[in-house]
Amino acid sequence: MKKLTILCALIAISISCKKDLEGLNVNTKDATTAGGGTFFAYAVKEMSSAMQDLTYGATGSPFTICRLFAQQISCNTYNEGSNYYAQFTWTNIYTGVLRNLEESRKTIEATTTIDDAGAKQKQNQLAMIEIMNVYTYAKLVESFGDVPYSEALDIEDVTPKYDDAETIYTDLISRLNAALDKMDVSGKGFGTFDLIYNYSEGTTVNTHPIQDWIKFGNSLKLQMGMRIIDALPQLGTETVRAAVQAGVFASNADIAEFKFLDAQPNTNPLWVDLAVGNRQDFIAAAPFLDQMNTFNDPRRSVFFTTVQGNYVGAPYGQPVEYNRYSHFGDLFYTPAVPSILIDYATVEFLLAEAAERGLAGVTDAEGHYNKAITASFDYYGVSGAAAYLVQPSVAYQTAAGPWQKKIGIQKWIALFNQGFEAWTEYRRLDYPQLQAPPGAFVNVVPRRLLYPTAEQTLNGANWSAAASAIGGDLMTTKLFWDVN
Amino acid sequence: MQKLLLIFLFFAFAQVKAQDKIITGTVRDQNGPIPGVSIKVEGTSIGTQTDMNGKFRLQAPPKAVLVLSFIGYATKTVPVTDQTDYAIVLENEENKLNEVVVTALGISRQKKSLGYASQELSGESINQVPSGNITNNLSGKAAGVQITRNNNFGGSTNVVIRGSTSLTGNNQALFVVDGVPVSNTTFNSSDQQGAGGGYDFGNLASDINPDDIESINVLKGAAATALYGSRAANGAIIITTKKGSSKDKVTIEVSSGLTIGSIDKSTWPKFQTQYGAGYEKIYGPNRDQYFNEQDVDGDGIPDLVPPFAAYGSFGGKFDPNLLVFQWDSFDPELPNYKKATPWVAPENGPITFFETPVNNNNNISFAGTTENGGSYRFSYTNMNQKGLMPNSDIKRNNFSLNSSFKLSERFTISGSANFSKADVIGRNLTGNESGSGGGNYSAVVRQWWQNDVDIMKLKDAYFSTRRNITNFIGGTIDNPYWTRYENYESDTRNRFYGNMGLKYKLTEWLNLDGKVSVDTYSYLQEDRTNNGTLGQVGRYTRQDIDFSEINYDLMLNFNKNITEKLNISGVLGTNIRRNNLRTVTMETNGGLIVDRLFSISNSLNQPAAPVEVAENIGVDGIYGLVSLGYKDTYFLDVTGRSDHASTLPEENSTFFYPSVAGSFIFSNLIENKKVLTFGKLRLNYAEVGSSAPANRLLDVLLKPAPFGSVPIYGVNNTKNNANLKPEATRSIEAGVEMAFLNRRLGLDVSLYKTNTRDQIIPVAVSPITGYTSKYVNAGEVQNKGIEVVLSGTPVTKEDFSWDVKVNWAKNENIVLSLFEGVDNLQLGSFRGTVTLNARVGQPYGTLMGADFIYLNGQRVINQTTGEYAKTTTFNNVIGDVNPDWKGGISNSFRYKNFNLSFLIDMQKGGDIYSSDMAQGFRSGLYENTVGNNDLGNPMRNSLADGGGIILDGVAPDGSKNTVRTRMDTYNNALGIVKGPQALFVYDATYVKLREVALTYRLPSKLLKNTPVRNVSISAIGSNLWIIHKNLPYSDPEAGISAGNIQGYQLGPLPTTRDFGFNVKLQF
Repeated sequence: MKKLTILCALIAISISCKKDLEGLNVNTKDATTAGGGTFFAYAVKEMSSAMQDLTYGATGSPFTICRLFAQQISCNTYNEGSNYYAQFTWTNIYTGVLRNLEESRKTIEATTTIDDAGAKQKQNQLAMIEIMNVYTYAKLVESFGDVPYSEALDIEDVTPKYDDAETIYTDLISRLNAALDKMDVSGKGFGTFDLIYNYSEGTTVNTHPIQDWIKFGNSLKLQMGMRIIDALPQLGTETVRAAVQAGVFASNADIAEFKFLDAQPNTNPLWVDLAVGNRQDFIAAAPFLDQMNTFNDPRRSVFFTTVQGNYVGAPYGQPVEYNRYSHFGDLFYTPAVPSILIDYATVEFLLAEAAERGLAGVTDAEGHYNKAITASFDYYGVSGAAAYLVQPSVAYQTAAGPWQKKIGIQKWIALFNQGFEAWTEYRRLDYPQLQAPPGAFVNVVPRRLLYPTAEQTLNGANWSAAASAIGGDLMTTKLFWDVN
Repeated sequence: MQKLLLIFLFFAFAQVKAQDKIITGTVRDQNGPIPGVSIKVEGTSIGTQTDMNGKFRLQAPPKAVLVLSFIGYATKTVPVTDQTDYAIVLENEENKLNEVVVTALGISRQKKSLGYASQELSGESINQVPSGNITNNLSGKAAGVQITRNNNFGGSTNVVIRGSTSLTGNNQALFVVDGVPVSNTTFNSSDQQGAGGGYDFGNLASDINPDDIESINVLKGAAATALYGSRAANGAIIITTKKGSSKDKVTIEVSSGLTIGSIDKSTWPKFQTQYGAGYEKIYGPNRDQYFNEQDVDGDGIPDLVPPFAAYGSFGGKFDPNLLVFQWDSFDPELPNYKKATPWVAPENGPITFFETPVNNNNNISFAGTTENGGSYRFSYTNMNQKGLMPNSDIKRNNFSLNSSFKLSERFTISGSANFSKADVIGRNLTGNESGSGGGNYSAVVRQWWQNDVDIMKLKDAYFSTRRNITNFIGGTIDNPYWTRYENYESDTRNRFYGNMGLKYKLTEWLNLDGKVSVDTYSYLQEDRTNNGTLGQVGRYTRQDIDFSEINYDLMLNFNKNITEKLNISGVLGTNIRRNNLRTVTMETNGGLIVDRLFSISNSLNQPAAPVEVAENIGVDGIYGLVSLGYKDTYFLDVTGRSDHASTLPEENSTFFYPSVAGSFIFSNLIENKKVLTFGKLRLNYAEVGSSAPANRLLDVLLKPAPFGSVPIYGVNNTKNNANLKPEATRSIEAGVEMAFLNRRLGLDVSLYKTNTRDQIIPVAVSPITGYTSKYVNAGEVQNKGIEVVLSGTPVTKEDFSWDVKVNWAKNENIVLSLFEGVDNLQLGSFRGTVTLNARVGQPYGTLMGADFIYLNGQRVINQTTGEYAKTTTFNNVIGDVNPDWKGGISNSFRYKNFNLSFLIDMQKGGDIYSSDMAQGFRSGLYENTVGNNDLGNPMRNSLADGGGIILDGVAPDGSKNTVRTRMDTYNNALGIVKGPQALFVYDATYVKLREVALTYRLPSKLLKNTPVRNVSISAIGSNLWIIHKNLPYSDPEAGISAGNIQGYQLGPLPTTRDFGFNVKLQF
């Protein structure tokens, strides 16, 4: 009997361990909460990286292929990407960028402020998050067309619908307006978590980050207004006007760029693709480098290497011998090359275009054109802009073709290392006139990106609705702003 | 040194015992003498068989116990006394009614009473042909047990019983050794399992020493494992180790074996030997040649240089008169510096890189009993394995001690302790080449090779310079010798498992059993990349893993005859389990200061903070089993178990599940047992609940490396779920077991159906949600199948007997539902836009990708290019990785003192996607990318020059295709990119001669005046012959890793035929 008592006691002990059990399932090594700035910094880094990454196109984040589509460079080994056989994922954009911006917003909104300075900072931080949200969604809409927006970022809804591209874009502009309205230059921003304007390892801290963010926001607004100018002239005109009035970038000192660091994993992904991988995959494309050769463009010395003293571009999209052609210049083989979100040259080109279109009271297209090109030279530390500009083939008055061509060609060159913008402005301005390579999977230069193939299996019904709404999930489908 | 020690021990103990005596006897039944009866000395491998007249002769120690067994008769034990001649009568029992097997929780049961399928394997049958990993040896030996091994050095083996039930969780069987659950974890990263590259660290059941195994019982269904609860929902492999049992006598056994391997050439590509490096005729100044021009030797005349950058062999045709400057002409330290050499196929192709694998295994054991009812067994094994790849080596040492003592008449204490130390150097990188500058040699040569490169020149280049000289293949592939000698991994694992148990006999029918068992290991994995490796800086990574599992068991066992006809037995028990896993990972940053010094402190930049993981799991369970037996003919088992698991939210954390199993020995109702000797029907129903993995309730953040001094955090891509509830498995099984003609023929058939629902799965979601996956309770998978075990003794004569055993199993698997609104769950996504999926209405493990476009069942051909037309979508079903059936046939022939046994192992069906074929075709490496076309011209000629091939198919209008397609380019119709993924799906059927063993046992008279009691010598072989397969150039079994991701090949090593010998001595 005594033994039975012992047995019962043992069983009782084992059952009474409940408390102990629940405590076991606690993750003691990972954080559950963090400050809003940490998520913001992460999102900005992810987006800046996504704009720079480069592959030959078999997979990867959506913008890795744009440099090839713009025919600035070509891939000499695997040419499927440059021949328009490509699949993308937008995983890093939705989960890495947008989700973390959302987490940052929620975290900051949940904080209570105790004084006026705190309230201003909170406002500014929320506005900065908005600017990055607008920037990111704008890139998605500009590359895919209809994308999930109103039902995105909700884990309870795993089959979100796609929203109409034009509707999203219009909403983005109003969100951008609202964010800019809230910003207060007397308040603080994200401090050291602002990796665009307020952080630079080892240097003094910017004292006017909010001023810069406002200029960034307005430059973005200018860019977005101009993007839709042909499709939605009224909204486009109004947006451009408001942006110019509020003040856009005025010098290279203002530009929005993300400065990478020298050590992994915080380097420019382009450096990883080129230098660390040591792949011999990418070479200058003839359409681009031949154009620069025609202009005798001094920026070639930064953009490309020479082959026996010459700058040689390869036929686009063809397998060729690596060593016979110019490669990326040394600058791009350094780890900390910045990722440009919007630069001053872009703004001046847009102003030149505004002058041609008679928008926002902007005049002197030639002056803005010259400033744009000069800004590009200055940015890369290349001298000789003045001599370049007086060449008849470059000079605004004498360069061939309509303004779309003059601006389009020069913008294409200035947008080297901004592949997404180069391809997007090519689609909008229709200059330079690029051809699909012979034997390509699609016989024209793509007008959009294909939706990620995972959507076919994970969100099939909405994918197929979106595909038919935009006129087919094809690379040839023109997006709403891409008229003509 | 180890061998010397062994020899020393061998002789030291040989002196102890020289008192064996010769025993003779006759074995008979009521009808007369029985030939062929197996007689063994218990606890040893001494044994013999009766001759034609039922007589036997044997050398046995005094007080040994003879164990006599023969088909159709009850096993009998006879203690050896002073007597030397024995007349033994075997009971011609209608069945082996009293055969006892070890079931769940170590409960010994009479096999006849079980209402579920289980299959026993003897230790001998498992370890006859050693493989270095006990799990490999199960292949083909038990029906319904699917063993998927791979060719990785020390690689992991998948052990799945009755199909995959869990969508994303663990589908592996539970391993239990003497009541200790022994972890069979695989530490392969998800990236490695998805063929992304990395090492295969093997499965941890490989620590179990095959030399110590007495028997294995495979518990297949949920009813069999119900008492284990959730963790054995996938079946269990119950291992019983050898124990000491020869009375008052030490038995010493020594065994030593050696096998060497040679490559089975059918599992390695046949490389074409006609064309070298290049993509197509696009080189030279005008892009119309096969070679580039460059003045290499400085004579002012342009020289021919092959296109080193090309990842393929669509280059110039070999021509001994053509002198070109090859990759070894550019380094001043190499003999061919600035020398042109003939453009010819290399003397030493890719296969010459491999070395001869050698496996050496030595074991010594001492077993015996003590006067006061104790028993002991000590065992030591060392194993050395040298791999196929240069610089690869596994050393394993196993120590074990098994002991029990009677403290009093009622009190027995027992314990076991097993220690193993496994040291590995140089596992091969797997999967995609990106692991480390083309680190997976096999992937490189199967996918991107330049067929003009001579391996021995690479070897000389490395060993003469100790530098990484490779300017071929785009300059991105390291010299493979550099990779093997400068960038090798190593890992070392020290492991202990064992238990201590107390048994107290309360009454004749009631005893109390308490046991504490532990399984713990510390595991260090180190990876190295020396400075000078292409594409990356030098690096050293170490991961320290500490694991422990402790189980506390208390059981009250009862067994009582209520009346003469009614027996009741059962168990009431409790189990407390605690698992702890800790890992710390550290890595250097930015390079190594000193070359070849692999330590964290040698980091060039400040290393990032270590990554720590801590996972604790606790489960408290109470269980009961009541077993009723009536007239030894009707049996009924009822079990119930309630678990309380730490990994579920408190409101759902306690769950109960029952099982009921019945059996009916219908042969007991039959008088005449001449034809039907034994017959039993069994039927069972079981439910099993399963809990969640650790730390899946609350969300945690990602912590990427800080950006300089700025800390950054990110939202995790996986959304956890605070409302998880247990998974539920329901299974129903019916079976029949029959023996005919005095057990000369046996048949065991099982039918089962298992449904697993409310699965705890990280379901993949569209990243638009902000996550890539979320934990839910959802989905239902059904497995149903049939297992047949057929055994027979076609011949049994004095000098000759033949035993045969056939295992056959078919499992059908279907995904019934997934998460709401989701009809496809992606299990893996591979290079080449191929995915492995669980899709509603399809089997678990469906391959998807682009398919052909068909017209009336014919492949449509693009009439412009002559290429296959293919779908633009990638969600087409192109394959099912599940085999139609698996089977094994083992035969054993005995002639006098010789025994020959062999096992044929086979699989019918199952699909496999070969990335190697997809890339190999693209790169023009294999023999089938050269040769003549229908016009009699080389297919590699340009179309204008009469080359190209006509693909079998039709034009879109249905007429036969006549358009010729280019075969002179890496962008040809048969490679990846141009060809649809469906083109690279192959049937994984195979028939293999898996094991062969020829054993000769020395006649005992030869050993009369020696201390040796028994000597046997075996010639052994494994994987000797792939009799049939459909996958070219590779072994269809060669996967990437154990786990749920199967059906994809990328860069496997070739299969080796291993043969050698084994000597066993007994004293």
